[in-house]
Amino acid sequence: MNRLLTTSLALALAAATTPAFAQSDTITLGAAVQLSGANANTGRYYRDAYQFTIDKINEKGGIQVGGKTYKFALKLYDSQSNEDLGMRQYVQLITQDKVSFLLGPFSSGDAMKDTSMAEKYEMVMVQGGGAAREIFTRNYKFIFGTLPPADNYFASTIDMIQKLEPKAKTVALVAADDSFDVSVAKGTREILKKTSLELVADQQYRENNADFSSILTLVKSKSPDVILWSGHPQEGINFVRQQKSLDVNAKILTSMTVGVPTADFRTALGADANYVYGMTPWLPNPQLKDKWFGDAAQFAKAYQDKFGYAPDYHAASAAADVETFAYALPAAGSLDQAKVRDAIAKVDFQSLYSHVKFDEVGQVSIPQTVIQIQNGKVVDVYTDKVLNKPIYPVPPWNKR
Amino acid sequence: MLLMQILLNGILLGGLYGLMALGMGLVWGVLNIVNLAHGAFIMMGGYAVYFLYTSAGIDPFAALPIAMLAMFLFGFAVQYGILNFIVRSALLNTLLITFGFDVVLTYVAQLLFSADLRTINPPYAGSNFGVLGLTVPVVRLGVFGVALGLALGLWLLLRMTRLGRAIRATAQNLIAARLYGVDPRLLYAVTFGLGAALAGAAGGLFGLVSQISPYVGATLTAKSFVIAIIGGLQNPLGAILGGIFIGIAEATSALYLSPTLVDVISFGLLVVILVTRPASSFRAA
Repeated sequence: MNRLLTTSLALALAAATTPAFAQSDTITLGAAVQLSGANANTGRYYRDAYQFTIDKINEKGGIQVGGKTYKFALKLYDSQSNEDLGMRQYVQLITQDKVSFLLGPFSSGDAMKDTSMAEKYEMVMVQGGGAAREIFTRNYKFIFGTLPPADNYFASTIDMIQKLEPKAKTVALVAADDSFDVSVAKGTREILKKTSLELVADQQYRENNADFSSILTLVKSKSPDVILWSGHPQEGINFVRQQKSLDVNAKILTSMTVGVPTADFRTALGADANYVYGMTPWLPNPQLKDKWFGDAAQFAKAYQDKFGYAPDYHAASAAADVETFAYALPAAGSLDQAKVRDAIAKVDFQSLYSHVKFDEVGQVSIPQTVIQIQNGKVVDVYTDKVLNKPIYPVPPWNKR
Repeated sequence: MLLMQILLNGILLGGLYGLMALGMGLVWGVLNIVNLAHGAFIMMGGYAVYFLYTSAGIDPFAALPIAMLAMFLFGFAVQYGILNFIVRSALLNTLLITFGFDVVLTYVAQLLFSADLRTINPPYAGSNFGVLGLTVPVVRLGVFGVALGLALGLWLLLRMTRLGRAIRATAQNLIAARLYGVDPRLLYAVTFGLGAALAGAAGGLFGLVSQISPYVGATLTAKSFVIAIIGGLQNPLGAILGGIFIGIAEATSALYLSPTLVDVISFGLLVVILVTRPASSFRAA
């Protein structure tokens, strides 16, 4: 009994002292991510990619800041797909857990709120989950983003439909009413104004709405050449299924801002996923070299092996967020928030995700590659020129 | 023409909404339990039909009875083993325990099935035919038919059978029913089982027209709740009518008002009905 007591006492002591030791050499990155709830299927990219990148950097010896070696650690909360809970968790990360720096949540709506907390407490946040331009145009000083601006998502697609034959003339736009999709719709309208394309239907829908039948019926009555859709992946799956069941065809193509590059989209829709156009700022291309992972293809393979599902750009963007700290902290030579902030504003590095360099408001600018599902595979078809042969125009539902 | 198509969409969708509310209304009316786990039951039914289809290759419509039987047994066990202990206690207790069920079922589902989005996608899922210039989606029509059939079946069960009379008697006057030899514990379990079975059927059909994830439950519970009140708890066909009413309201408001108002419309209607209808009409099946 006595021995048991001493052993457990010793164990307790050891447990109490080890983190204290480690803490002095550890840089803790904190984040509140959707691990459950409606956005859990995208939130997992952030959880997994954050941890994966941190482990990789630590495995390769960590980073040097001011002549001292540091390792990264991750402090993660499950925001349960609840924006307000996530916001409180960020306050907790800053004030109670006293993390060193912040990583972001998924989705623009969450990022809008969470970045306000980071800014209020003057703690640097690099986030790869919120693309809405509005996150960055509030004169915040401590916020950086590694997703390209939402208002520009459809730029390459619109460029393509004006160049390929047959040229499109009419466009229908369907977008949700959350901050990301409002930003997309706003930007898309601006882009369309500069072209000869006519916007024949412009419909907003309620976020998390499962039923598109009314909107699709209206779109069908306008028989547009192109349907541009923006929303969350789960809604996108419904949109395609209902398009088919109501026999709604775009004469040339349907393109969606999100969902198309994800594995979920293809497994849930099966053959109906074919021909759908989408976009991604990232593909696992071996030309994207990386200091820690080798290149993007190696990253994608290692990620798939470890987590059992393929990464998409959300995961790559999340990895780039951690790497941003790994590049900026040694350059800052200090863990001081203001110095780190200045160092991040100056980073300029090549990663598995993309070339990372922030513009004056703290967002990266990466062109969207137009992709298409062909035979159940994601094929990159267009950037400012044709990459692989697109199936264009897309066959109507009854000819597939 | 556009309006006709939108009304058709609303009616077809409304049938499914009605079926979702049917089980909730039955349990509510007879047991006075507002089952907040109803949406989670729908989700479970959806997974059951999904796996019966993808793993065992059983056609989703044929898989419905199997899923319903499984959900009936589950519901029976839940009521008999757990809820019977609190069935006559304050409403808050039953709300709390069913809410707890909802949380547990949702997270167990995420553990078992992950947050992947699943669709029940048989080859005919996207087919449709044209009538008078309207496009009729085959699956939605089938879903509507099944929903109507189940509501009719429940109505007949409650009107024509001994079991149905016992259920109604218990709902109307517990003491009198007991004097006539009804065992309320058993009867409650059967009723709750029926409610769960109907939720199971709704889940399978929901997976056919939409998608299933562990998190679909909460919104469906809210929707069922609204429709159960609008349709009233007395008559199963009322639930279907309530569903169609909401379906049409959603379909038209999405287009002619503002899509952002869709939820406002359904809950606004609820408030209007709660204010204008006498509270006494909610009880009794």
